[in-house]
Amino acid sequence: MSKPKTRMRSKKLVPRQGTWPDPAGRRGEPDAARNGLSGDQQKAIQSLIDLLKGNNLCELEVERGGWRIRLRRDVSGQQVLQAVRETTPPVSESPAELVAAQPVAETGGMVTVRSPIVGTFYRSPSPDADPYVEEGDQVKKGQVLCIVEAMKLMNEIESEVDGRIVKILAESTKPVEYGQPLFLIDPTQAA
Amino acid sequence: MFKKVLVANRGEIALRIIRACKELGIRTVAIHSEADANGLHVRAADERVCVGPAEDSLSYRNIPNVLSAAEITGAEAVHPGYGFLSENAHFAEVCESIGLKFIGPTSENIALMGDKAKARDIIARRGLPVLPGSPGELRSEQEALDAARKIGFPVIIKASAGGGGRGMRVVNKDDELVRAFQAAQAEAKSTFGNEGVYLERYFIEPRHIEAQILADERGRVVFLGERDCSIQRRYQKLVEESPSPAVDERLRREIARVATEAVRSVHYRNAGTVEFLLDKDQKFYFMEVNARIQVEHPVTEMVTGIDLIKEQIRIAAGLPLGFKQQDIKLNGHSFECRINAEDPDKFTPCPGQITRYHPPGGLGVRVDSAMETQATVVPYYDSMIAKLITHGQDRDEAMARMRRALDEFVIEGIKTTIPLHKRIFNDAEFQKGRVSTGFLERFLANSAG
Repeated sequence: MSKPKTRMRSKKLVPRQGTWPDPAGRRGEPDAARNGLSGDQQKAIQSLIDLLKGNNLCELEVERGGWRIRLRRDVSGQQVLQAVRETTPPVSESPAELVAAQPVAETGGMVTVRSPIVGTFYRSPSPDADPYVEEGDQVKKGQVLCIVEAMKLMNEIESEVDGRIVKILAESTKPVEYGQPLFLIDPTQAA
Repeated sequence: MFKKVLVANRGEIALRIIRACKELGIRTVAIHSEADANGLHVRAADERVCVGPAEDSLSYRNIPNVLSAAEITGAEAVHPGYGFLSENAHFAEVCESIGLKFIGPTSENIALMGDKAKARDIIARRGLPVLPGSPGELRSEQEALDAARKIGFPVIIKASAGGGGRGMRVVNKDDELVRAFQAAQAEAKSTFGNEGVYLERYFIEPRHIEAQILADERGRVVFLGERDCSIQRRYQKLVEESPSPAVDERLRREIARVATEAVRSVHYRNAGTVEFLLDKDQKFYFMEVNARIQVEHPVTEMVTGIDLIKEQIRIAAGLPLGFKQQDIKLNGHSFECRINAEDPDKFTPCPGQITRYHPPGGLGVRVDSAMETQATVVPYYDSMIAKLITHGQDRDEAMARMRRALDEFVIEGIKTTIPLHKRIFNDAEFQKGRVSTGFLERFLANSAG
């Protein structure tokens, strides 16, 4: 698998650990030793989280000097915060530039393609054909990535973005439910 | 017997069905929307499939996703519960055509009973007492006027495709009829997509009596007593009881005869409820058939000792009913209170997180609910969060148990209608059993003063 260039950093993801504080305070304050942030950085992040929640935003991206953070909030009931940070230097005291982004299913800059229906996932159009895509492939918006078969109907799932297939998240011939992650795509910047 | 059943519903009724399946040794599949991913019914099942986002038309009523969930899990049958797809004749028909057993009546039963004007017509032609009404849908203003004059005012205009108390208009006088007819048609069209309306005599202060029946696939029909559901607000039931304090043994036999003949005449299968209006002179009239298991089925279970959901599953699996009519005895008395996540005075929905949940217990107390401490009541679905059911050797004991159980029931963090139920059970007229469908509106109006 070829190594991506500028996007490599954004692969340092923390979402699976869920160490970011939950605004409802159920998980308590993050432990500085665990996530490597200073007290000031944690306070800054907490105030951004409050801003996100207070204004009922789905996503927030902030850039301060060499430091970028994106926070995503799932508004369908469960608050899951995922954040990514570029490498240091630490946060400056200058005011942040806030950009309210679209509610897109993104994970640290990546796009997760999720199944829109319930069915069986197939990577190729037929058992003896080649898969539609492999990890590392470049895909274009509208390109067919896979099939989810439901009740004998083959539904072609198309990519919503141009980009590169980073990971295939579902197993061919296995059932998938609504919302189940199928592909992780690293979207290409618009030219 | 089925090996695996998919439960096409959520909340308390999904849990109820899963419980019955477990007792029968059947594996269960729960479907859920993204909003219900952590619901108790999902955790109680053996398998789970997310079928869509919160909105029920995209999840619980999303037929392709529900059917696909049955396919990928290998479920042999689907229980639709109540609401959602339970009276969707098209869904039942698709299940039939793909060999997925629909646990409930046939698609023809559902289609027929869903056309309320037609159902009334068929029952009337059998010579059974039907609410005086128009013989089918009204096609013109003149037809409506003629029908109303023949039936006698006051009349009520109802939507043929309607239900849940929507699209109804009461007309007291001759000169108001035409305008009301036109308005009712327009409302029916916009609410149900079908402007068909019919009209019936309107009774002031009737009682709502409904008969529970079970019919197996051999056509054997059994009557399991009646329920009195007169405590309603805007046609939504709040309290139900069985048996009805207004029905004596002679009247019960009559109701049983009419109800069983009505369902036999349409070759009805599985569980169903025949609804009647009982007027002040003890005359009863057929209103409609609810072709599904109902919310208030527990009060019938408590007085008959029959597990209605298990019987539904057995009937669907092709087994004959395990009992005859003479085996059915009504023992004691039972009440049910529907506990909603609503303001008990304003009835506005109050979703939110339940910070503490502690249901009552003791002899003769049953709670059907999918709630628990830390559960979140989401705003997307019906506001009913629990059913509190009591049973006693007689009506007084069942009422005393309900008062005691309502006092014990702890639900904190959200508002519920528990305080309203307490007031109802402390009301003198209610305690005497002297209520009709107008009771609750009057009771609320008096309390507000």
